[in-house]
Amino acid sequence: MSLLQLEGATIRFGGLVAVNNVSFSVEKGDLFGLIGPNGAGKTTCFNLITGVYKPTSGSIKFRGSELSGTPPNKVAQLGIARTFQNIRLFQSLTVLENVVVAAYLRHRVALPSALLYLPSAIAETERLKAEAMRLLEVLDLDRRAQVRSADLPYGMQRRLEIARAMATKPELLLLDEPAAGMNPQESDDLLLTVRQIRENFAMTVLLIEHDMRFVMNLCEKIVVLDHGIEIAQGPPETIRNHPKVIEAYLGEAV
Amino acid sequence: MYWPVRLASILAAVGGCFLLDALARGVDDYARRLIVLAGIWVILSVSLNLINGITGQFSIGHAAFWQVGAYTAGYLSVTFHGKWGIDGLPWMILMMALGALMAAVAGLIVGLPSLRLRGDYLAIVTLGFGEIIRIVVQNQKPLGEAYGMNVQPKFQTVWLVWLMAIVCIAVCRNLLRTAHGLPFLAVREDEVAAGAMGVNVTQVKVTAFLIGSAFAGVAGALLAHYEGFISPQMFKMEQSFIILTMVVLGGTGSITGATIAAVALFYLPERLRDAPPVTGAALLGGLIGTIVAVVLVKRTVDRFHGPKIGAATRYIGSVVAGIVLSLALGAGFGMIPKLASQSFEAEKLRMVIFAGVLIILMLIRPQGILGTNEFSLDWVKSLLRKRKAVEA
Repeated sequence: MSLLQLEGATIRFGGLVAVNNVSFSVEKGDLFGLIGPNGAGKTTCFNLITGVYKPTSGSIKFRGSELSGTPPNKVAQLGIARTFQNIRLFQSLTVLENVVVAAYLRHRVALPSALLYLPSAIAETERLKAEAMRLLEVLDLDRRAQVRSADLPYGMQRRLEIARAMATKPELLLLDEPAAGMNPQESDDLLLTVRQIRENFAMTVLLIEHDMRFVMNLCEKIVVLDHGIEIAQGPPETIRNHPKVIEAYLGEAV
Repeated sequence: MYWPVRLASILAAVGGCFLLDALARGVDDYARRLIVLAGIWVILSVSLNLINGITGQFSIGHAAFWQVGAYTAGYLSVTFHGKWGIDGLPWMILMMALGALMAAVAGLIVGLPSLRLRGDYLAIVTLGFGEIIRIVVQNQKPLGEAYGMNVQPKFQTVWLVWLMAIVCIAVCRNLLRTAHGLPFLAVREDEVAAGAMGVNVTQVKVTAFLIGSAFAGVAGALLAHYEGFISPQMFKMEQSFIILTMVVLGGTGSITGATIAAVALFYLPERLRDAPPVTGAALLGGLIGTIVAVVLVKRTVDRFHGPKIGAATRYIGSVVAGIVLSLALGAGFGMIPKLASQSFEAEKLRMVIFAGVLIILMLIRPQGILGTNEFSLDWVKSLLRKRKAVEA
């Protein structure tokens, strides 16, 4: 059984078919890439998986059970976390607080105890903070824990997005253009980080990326979308030489 | 160390309320009434801050929840008091609980549309809801229609009002100092991202409305039993706006800011009633002096980036310059017989001055008195530390 399986996933916005009959399956432990030109429907695919949109037709299965129609917070609880293409941090919260928000989905102490400031709520707060702090160490953000997230440099904001998504302890991590806007050095660092995360946390990663060097180096399987249609699927070598992909996206020189 | 500290702070809060009560016995009825009403405004402002400032749901119908609480307590007291065999404080507690419950139900009704509406649209719905409540009440015979209703028994204590204000502040503060407050802030910051991180946005919004409106209901029950009279006129749209102003002025999301702003905004216009009449000359001089001072302060805010101590000297300088200019101009205009002979009563000017102060504050400090900070020893210390860092 695949970890994530899309079968004929389709969504229409009026006359526009943003994602048209897309099928692929992500196995446990995969480093899976989703590429294609702008407007190909990659982010829409993420939105379908995470419950932001409900597919018009087709099915999306996670660990064998149907996902479509599940609200985003339930999807996160089931074990799928994501980052956003245009960074969406909780800007006025600190770096640590951003991560604690995501770790909070495993809270066990009910709200009234917190309103009364009972020891159980204090202990839980400490526990979640400690968990979040460990993740910040992994992503090398621990020294900035008390900084307002909006005040972080751009590359760190991207890393914080990943830390925050990981705090939900997902089985499947969706990264939406994690290397966008990064310089080559930053993007190389990120490459190592993503590999490390996958090994140390036994996570499956599905990522959207335009940086071909990044994708080809990192991913073991790739799906290519164009105008909402899936045009190719396979390992990097196949994709690099696939005539349709070259025509639609990569161009001759790659 | 947890329980000793906890018990000590609870005792201190209760003791402080009784001390305030004892002190308030020494002043006249009018002054005591102001102390009580200030406490009620603190509850309203801090509870709206939970909905508006902390959770970011722009609600401007808070007076409606206040009214629901007041009329629930009022009506039940008039109808059932003396029949259930309880009186005094227990009765008052029961009325507060039922007022809170009914207001929370109303909060739920408004909270539900907020799940689909954002920003301005939610504001319009809450505004409309507030008016609907007021007009529905105004047309009910058992509730005294537009004349209002007398509430018996009265329960006039300073301590209970301020104890409730402290409870309201404590609940909000406890929320923010545990991890449980973070989902509320996350919803304010970015609903989509919050949802993607597993925050149940629906539940958070409804909870904020429930708690916030319940406290407004408590404030209503307290008001009804203190004044002994309630009418729809007391809960007009303007009241909602004043509560909102308190929240914004205090610094959106800041609990201490909401508290300070509530007391200040309530006291200022009340105290201006007693001010002596002013002559046209003094008024004109004061106006020009104020404008000059505001312009000078605003220039420092916008353009001065040096050390804090330099900024502070400039602020003080600007204010002193404004005062000196006001006095000088006032004396100068006093030479003109027409201006000197005209006299304006403070009673008529007070709302103008109130509005003027609001405009000035929003010009100089749009983020509110405290911004998103809380007033605490740590915050003051951090300010001092920053100053030292800049000086070094």
